[in-house]
Amino acid sequence: MTSKEESFRALVAGHQEMVINTCYRFVFNREDAEDLAQDVFIEVFRSLEQFREEAKLSTWIYRIAVTKSLDHLRRQKRKKRFSSLKRIIGIDDPIAEIADSNGDNPAEALVGSEQAVILQYALNTLPDSQKTAFLLSKQEGFSNQEIADILKTSVSAVESLVHRAKKNLHDKLYAYYAMQ
Amino acid sequence: MKQELMMKRHNNNIEEQVAKAMMLLDEIKPLEVDHHFRVRLMQRIEYEFGQRSGYAQAGLRNRFDFRLAFMALLIMVNLGSALLSVQHNNLGKTPGISEMIDNLNDDYPSQEFAYYDQTSAYPAETMTAESKTP
Repeated sequence: MTSKEESFRALVAGHQEMVINTCYRFVFNREDAEDLAQDVFIEVFRSLEQFREEAKLSTWIYRIAVTKSLDHLRRQKRKKRFSSLKRIIGIDDPIAEIADSNGDNPAEALVGSEQAVILQYALNTLPDSQKTAFLLSKQEGFSNQEIADILKTSVSAVESLVHRAKKNLHDKLYAYYAMQ
Repeated sequence: MKQELMMKRHNNNIEEQVAKAMMLLDEIKPLEVDHHFRVRLMQRIEYEFGQRSGYAQAGLRNRFDFRLAFMALLIMVNLGSALLSVQHNNLGKTPGISEMIDNLNDDYPSQEFAYYDQTSAYPAETMTAESKTP
């Protein structure tokens, strides 16, 4: 085993839990979170030599995790839009059917409740910066300073983002439940 | 009054539901990492980067082959041009040799060598003179 591989193994061992859980906060699904975490570490392995020590290694890794998770959510949104468009024009989407029949809903996998689905939907309507700051603030192990480093912003900006995210989320959920 | 009370109760109910939904995020328990995770990751890295280094090696081999082919082409061009020039020189020399042979057998027809023509008859005269002298 080369020294690069050895140090990489140590790096994975030290950060895997945090990376998986960060992705999990965004996607609400274990399998997706693990797949994303794999992508994160592959990206880390590929560009470890290009890493400049302007930020902490862990901050850099978590930034990659956040970016990958947001990309995944965007892809999911696009896919949903496309399958609903297909449904409108009358083409059956077998992928969507398979996903539905398996009950492969991220939120359902999380707690198995309708509330989780609604929460995830509301979260996904938030701007990326608010969503990231809010979700990371809910995760153990991230201080506001660390979130600020990941988002490349100040602590006060993070506090403001979290506050706005809470308010927006509350309003969206309130509007939803008021309509019921 | 009763309507207000009902409205208030309804609002409270909504707030309660919102709070419950928001609480879900705090209730998420951290995932425990599956022990296969790192194994799968290392396998994937080995597969992806091993294949890539294989491609790189193949690329290197291709580049080497290309260089070899290019060198062979250059050698062939050099050899060809050398052969052509030798052939050209040979073609140029052939008339030279034939000319030389011609020159050797030449009867010196030009005016400059007319002297030799004249002298060609001279030995006969000298011979006669010599023969006459004694």
